[in-house]
Amino acid sequence: MKFGKRLKRQIEESLPEWRDKFLSYKDLKKLVRLISTTDASPQAEGEFVSLLDAEVEKFNAFFMEQEEEFVIRQRQELQERIRRAAESLRPSEAGYAAEMGRIRKDIVNFHGEMVLLVNYSSINYTVAGLAKILKKYDKRTGGLLRLPFIETVLKQPFFTTELISRLVKECEIMMEAVFPAAEEQVERREREALAMAEQSIFRNAVAALITMQELRKGSSTYGHFSLPPLILPDPDLLQSLQIPSPIPIQ
Amino acid sequence: MKQFHNRGIPMLVSSSLHVRPSPIEEKYPKLLDSQQALMEMELRKNSLAPLQNPLMSNNGVYGFSLSAAPVFDSDLHIDAISPHEKHTFDAPYISKLSDRNSSLPSTFSLYSATCQPSLNTYPEESAEITWRPESIQGITDYPDHVNLNNQIQENHITNPGDINKQDEWSDLTGLINENWRELLDDSDTTESQTKVIHSAVHVPADFSVQNSQTHLSLPSHSSELSNATGPSSSTNAAPARSRMRWTPELHELFVEAVKKLGGSEKATPKGVRKLMKVEGLTIYHVKSHLQKYRTARFRPESIEGMSTKITQIEEVSSLDLRMGTGITEALRVQVEVQKQLHEQLEIQRKLQLQIEEHGRYLQMMFEKQCQGIDKIKASANMDESSTQLSELTNSIDIREIPENDHAKTDKRSPGAGLAAEDSPQLIDRHKMLKHDSKIESNIVGGSYSPPSKRSRHNYVDLSATPAI
Repeated sequence: MKFGKRLKRQIEESLPEWRDKFLSYKDLKKLVRLISTTDASPQAEGEFVSLLDAEVEKFNAFFMEQEEEFVIRQRQELQERIRRAAESLRPSEAGYAAEMGRIRKDIVNFHGEMVLLVNYSSINYTVAGLAKILKKYDKRTGGLLRLPFIETVLKQPFFTTELISRLVKECEIMMEAVFPAAEEQVERREREALAMAEQSIFRNAVAALITMQELRKGSSTYGHFSLPPLILPDPDLLQSLQIPSPIPIQ
Repeated sequence: MKQFHNRGIPMLVSSSLHVRPSPIEEKYPKLLDSQQALMEMELRKNSLAPLQNPLMSNNGVYGFSLSAAPVFDSDLHIDAISPHEKHTFDAPYISKLSDRNSSLPSTFSLYSATCQPSLNTYPEESAEITWRPESIQGITDYPDHVNLNNQIQENHITNPGDINKQDEWSDLTGLINENWRELLDDSDTTESQTKVIHSAVHVPADFSVQNSQTHLSLPSHSSELSNATGPSSSTNAAPARSRMRWTPELHELFVEAVKKLGGSEKATPKGVRKLMKVEGLTIYHVKSHLQKYRTARFRPESIEGMSTKITQIEEVSSLDLRMGTGITEALRVQVEVQKQLHEQLEIQRKLQLQIEEHGRYLQMMFEKQCQGIDKIKASANMDESSTQLSELTNSIDIREIPENDHAKTDKRSPGAGLAAEDSPQLIDRHKMLKHDSKIESNIVGGSYSPPSKRSRHNYVDLSATPAI
């Protein structure tokens, strides 16, 4: 759990507008405790549910807004690229290359942002999220809230991330085209990568992957409703990118 | 439980009306009054987003409300549900729904799965709270949801008094603007107000229906209309806003319309909306989207600015060039990581969906088994059945009973959809079933065949059965 918290904190620090958009896990946990100790009356459960609904609403609103922006931006990035490519005949080599570099950077960051949004969705579902708090609720109060609620959650916009995933893939295709084929220079790559990894978007992505890995390693509550361990195609890459987080693990 | 039903289930479905019920609740002594009150609220809000009405309308539209009708104290429509019951629900559906009082979400999902597409006349809004938007929102992701939208709207509950108006309303499709204008103009006269109210009420239906029609007519445009009114819309006096889920296709239409109107600065929301010709798209949607569009960088019309930018960049080209090539490699790494993260997220999501589906499947299996047991119980006399039941329960691997209160058991058993109330053995079993993930975690993935294991799984799944 601490990894999830850490990740959440990190994202919130680096992307301030995301700060309150996550599940208020602590508050909900308190409520669960309260309910479990004072006996789960229907009213209490109803309150809990409405709180959860409010949270879901919050996710949806934020998610869809981001989605909308991404849709707009993606189109703009595309257009921008096309324009630039068209302009490439006119300007000199240097200017063009610089511009392309800028485009690439923007596209990559854009890609990163979208992936982070998908990650946001995932966090709110699993890591410090709905599934977890519902599980806790059921456990503490003997309730049977989890399954039905989860079922609705699965259909919520914030969880149905197909659109964003599609945008991400399209972005990747775009990037393939934009990036010149270059040989890999390993050490230079590592150096640059480390420098790059300081950037918040990238850093968040790294942290998210690491967190995912940690969380899925297995824990005391590991069961058949839990996810299997994470298998990364390139574990070394991730290892080399681990930067000590300024946020202490609590 | 009632409360839970009341707020929980509709909330589960709509997930947006937690705030809504309060003003509405007070206003629903009778159906008609409530509807009027609802409409008045609408008029007051002067909302051009009639989707608010659908928000109002469908609390308990779905099957769950059929059985839960008596339970909803503050929900509207309940009487309206019964006539509706005959409407478009499949028969097995109805029974299922009445059995499983509580399981709204699963009901919903099952319901969605079995809906047949059809474009019947649109039902009216009764003063019920949002369900349709939710359903649309949840459903429109998938291609077959196009049909679901239609089906869902058909199933919307009709006020008993308004059934005759149904045909009238279906004629109003596509006259959304005019309707709203009428609405605003006629807000004085009571009679016309009623009429206007009805048309206003209907309008949202049109919206949603139109959306589905849009889906049908423009299959390539997977535009979704998700009406999730945030808490703000009900607490303050701002016009009701539902959220539109902008897809690239929809955005493309938008951009085209904007271009035709001479660019994002010149284009007005109204004009764009007209040009786009997307049903269900309100002026608010367009307005906010246009705003976002304007603030986005690199708009097509700024191409003149682009060339100047490029010349400026040329001047610092040497530095940039060095940075450019160096950064490329770093960018690659970044992309690599991001791609991996994305891939893992997708995998994770799929797994989660699978897990939930698994749970649902087991639950279904268990229900079937329980129904079988019920039949046995019903056919035989009490003694015999008790013996049989005790045999059954004994044969099943029973876990130690958790420290759940008996009180909780009693609360939950009525809604369990089993005959648990009747037999003490079943109540015991039910208690045991209210277990948590500890048992859940022992579900062997995918191995449904072994009967003993299955019964245990079924046990566990009963615990997962939403009980109200």
